[in-house]
Amino acid sequence: MPVFKTSFNGYSVKFSPFYENQLAVATAQNFGILGNGRLHVLQLGPVITERAAFDTAEGVYDLCWSESHDSLIVAAVADGSLKIYDLSLPPASNPIRSLHEHARECHGVDFNTVRKDSFLSASWDDTVKLWTVDRPASVKTFKEHAYCVYSAAWNPRHADVFASASGDCTTRIWDVREPGSTMILPAHEFEILACDWNKYDDCIIATASVDKSIKVWDVRNYRVPVAVLNGHGYAVRKVKFSPHRGSVIASCSYDMTMCLWDYMVEDALIGR
Amino acid sequence: MAMRELVSGGAACAVPGSSSSNPLGSLANALIGSSSKTQERLREIPTATATTSDGSLYTGAEEPLAGLPGSELEHTLHSNAQGSEFLQGFRSVDQSRFSDAWDEIQRPQIPHYRGRDGLTNFPLEQPRLNQDFDGPPQRVLSNFLHSFLHSGHGSVPFHPTSLPVLGLSEGDKQCIRDRSSIMARHLFADKSEDFIHAQVNALLTSLDIDNDIRARGPMPGRFPELEEYWNESQGMRPGPHGPDAWVSEFSQQRVHHDDPNTWVQSFERQHGANGWASEFEHEQSQLASIDQLRGSNIPNLAAMEQTRMLAHTLAQNNDPKFQNSKFFQFVSKMSRGEITIEDNQFKPAALSAPGDWATEYEQQYNGGQSWADQFVNEKLSHGPHGWANEFAAEREQHGLVEDEWVNEFSKLNVNDWSEEFERQVADGTLESSADNWANAYDEYLNEQVALKQKSASGVYVFSDLNPYVGHPNPLKEGQELFRKGLLSEAVLALEAEVLKNPDNAEGWRLLGIAHAENDDDQQAIAAMMRAQEVDPTNLEVLLALGVSHTNELEQAAALKYLYSWLRHHPKYGSIAPQDQPENLYYADVVRLFNDAAKLSPDDADVHIVLGVMYNLSREYDKAIEAFQTALKLKPRDYSLWNKLGATQANSIQSADAIFAYQQALDLKPNYVRAWANMGISYANQGMYEESIRYYVRALAMNPKADNAWQYLRISLSCASRNDMLEACDSRNLDILQKEFPL
Repeated sequence: MPVFKTSFNGYSVKFSPFYENQLAVATAQNFGILGNGRLHVLQLGPVITERAAFDTAEGVYDLCWSESHDSLIVAAVADGSLKIYDLSLPPASNPIRSLHEHARECHGVDFNTVRKDSFLSASWDDTVKLWTVDRPASVKTFKEHAYCVYSAAWNPRHADVFASASGDCTTRIWDVREPGSTMILPAHEFEILACDWNKYDDCIIATASVDKSIKVWDVRNYRVPVAVLNGHGYAVRKVKFSPHRGSVIASCSYDMTMCLWDYMVEDALIGR
Repeated sequence: MAMRELVSGGAACAVPGSSSSNPLGSLANALIGSSSKTQERLREIPTATATTSDGSLYTGAEEPLAGLPGSELEHTLHSNAQGSEFLQGFRSVDQSRFSDAWDEIQRPQIPHYRGRDGLTNFPLEQPRLNQDFDGPPQRVLSNFLHSFLHSGHGSVPFHPTSLPVLGLSEGDKQCIRDRSSIMARHLFADKSEDFIHAQVNALLTSLDIDNDIRARGPMPGRFPELEEYWNESQGMRPGPHGPDAWVSEFSQQRVHHDDPNTWVQSFERQHGANGWASEFEHEQSQLASIDQLRGSNIPNLAAMEQTRMLAHTLAQNNDPKFQNSKFFQFVSKMSRGEITIEDNQFKPAALSAPGDWATEYEQQYNGGQSWADQFVNEKLSHGPHGWANEFAAEREQHGLVEDEWVNEFSKLNVNDWSEEFERQVADGTLESSADNWANAYDEYLNEQVALKQKSASGVYVFSDLNPYVGHPNPLKEGQELFRKGLLSEAVLALEAEVLKNPDNAEGWRLLGIAHAENDDDQQAIAAMMRAQEVDPTNLEVLLALGVSHTNELEQAAALKYLYSWLRHHPKYGSIAPQDQPENLYYADVVRLFNDAAKLSPDDADVHIVLGVMYNLSREYDKAIEAFQTALKLKPRDYSLWNKLGATQANSIQSADAIFAYQQALDLKPNYVRAWANMGISYANQGMYEESIRYYVRALAMNPKADNAWQYLRISLSCASRNDMLEACDSRNLDILQKEFPL
């Protein structure tokens, strides 16, 4: 298997929604505690080649590809800024935009897959902000969480609905047309580090927590989780639903493993 | 080799010109400067920076400094195999040799690092190289941070180490402090806050970072708001000085506010409506912690009565908003022992006060409507926030009652009270009264748990005040009402029937169906389970139970009933294996039903069950197909049209769903569930105005459909009809129907 080693510690990796062999990687020095960051764009093949790399003064915690332009990447940077890079431009003219509104580290970004011009950022300043590519300032700020917001994820079907995962032990469901959250899901007893929507069922959401578990919820019946997936040895850092199978979930954890789950079957852990 | 990697690794970390705040491993450079191989290494640097994507350059950055205390211990412990193995895999011998050597300089007292070759005498300063790369020696820092993080994997306490002056800027320090704190909380979640503090502090002292500067604190408890209120209330009182201070503060307040009503108001003003509730909770939580300290048992009827009432109301309130509320969580968490309050110093003393107070109060208050009653009444009608407000409002309205209460209380005369209190402290009754509260609280929790289990385990809850009790033929009446679509009335009549004849399976079944059509699946399940007890093989009952459990998204239970439907079916019983397997797997059951469908393709019921099962697995396309097949066989089954509609709505075909619901409503105009579902489909399409009309229509037929009220509220706010929210909250159907005619 071809290997590409990043100089810094990896924080996030995403496939391009336009080219199946293109990959962007967000990295940060010293596990993101202090130091530079770098955004790699990689071309998969028999060998992995680096198409571009952008350096930042602070660690890059997350990134997302634009859903409307194949060359745009949004990076969430530890200094609280969001930087937009255009691969078609030379490194000298990048980033094409640096949006600095968050007061603290920016920990998650997500591009809307339905309304393809907008994206969300989640920050340790307890807020989620809504942005559009063409505007220099955020469209809206969602401030309700009582502690760091680690990630925000758009619903794959409804352009206005998203979920946010926070250290205040709740996941909140929002509708951008509403001023406040539409649902508060006290999903775990410990901090929640990530959430993601099922790509096949727009009512199913997974949350990953410091309590080492992943829980799958149906937002129509949020009193009991649909499934609780135990198996990680440390806090679960990220969780993603498979784009290919509705019941398959991938997760990675501070225990340095990543797990594959099928929450519909008895022995949910199907790969590590 | 070791040095080369290190140097190039360090160089790769730093990209010239990318950031002035972010330099190379200047320490590494410094080290090279005076080592014997300086020239060779210097030549490496430009190459390294030029080809940053060369994998071999990066090894250094990933390696933890094995020699530092945290990770060094980890080697011996291996307590967390996966994590540390993975990380150790990265370490090359060369790397650790370097780190060992480094450590030897810094901490010569660690014996087993001695004797390594080569690198024992490098000076720390090398100005010639530093001119290119300014800032902290990243190499040391990075290794140090790595070992800090890895200390988590072995649960090893992280010891402070003296490091060279790193020249970190204030901003850098702030970053390290904040980010390491947050990360430590992720890693050490199962350890105490003290441990986390110790870990972070060890890191910070080593790096010469002042931990006093305001860092990103820990998450402010599970209930930040409560904590705030708590602090507020603590601030209002002059700190933890024990009973005397509390009493004197209290009397001060009385002096300030002679009028009892203002006292009440000022209390509210100081705490806000919610503050009152949280205050109450805090006292309760204190009780819980006392409970942990002491355990003897002396009954206190008054207090018990009060908590019992509270428990009752808590369990009865099914409003999800409430179930979801901080208060409810708080209480339930407390019940699981997840919350304990650390500061016991002040409250235990003050606590006996409420205990005492409650007793006195109850004694004096036997005649009138008790506080607890009022609490219950108001609780029932509203969620917690509304409740607090309402409570405040009611207080003023019911001035008479309230005045009486406050007067009674003031009659107690504060001085007497405090004297009595002191007397009690003297002869030890203080303990016992606290115990009373603790016990009462215990009992309340138990009862709450019991009640919760009761409703969850499907015990049917009868309505109070049933006018049909004593009716000569309630079953017939119920059937008639059901046919007319007066579901709520039908429910009452059928309840009267099953009270009269608890063995009437048909009565229970119809009751279950009435509840299901009324959008109350929990009650429907409860009734159907009673029907099944009476007649375990009734196919309609088994099918209905399967459907209701599917609606509640309880897959295992749904499978169980659908499977027994098959087993008890005269035609298909043979398909199912005689001995029921321990665990039903979805795929097996689906296969059986597919066999059944092949056996007799004209049986609509089998297709219905298949449709339900595909709903369970969310294969909506197949479910729609199954229901459509069934509808060809049974085109006049209104509930089947509704099922089809619901499935279509679930698979985001809301427009088709509306057609199906319309069919159901044409067949049965009083079908509340279809009206409500119609509203949901319109809402899903963003047609909120339309959806409101349908919800209102459904509610006009069954005002008790709590779900529909909530949907209505959501649609009203989505349609920006905030002017109607009040009518919705007060459940004023007249206004709503006038505003939203259908």
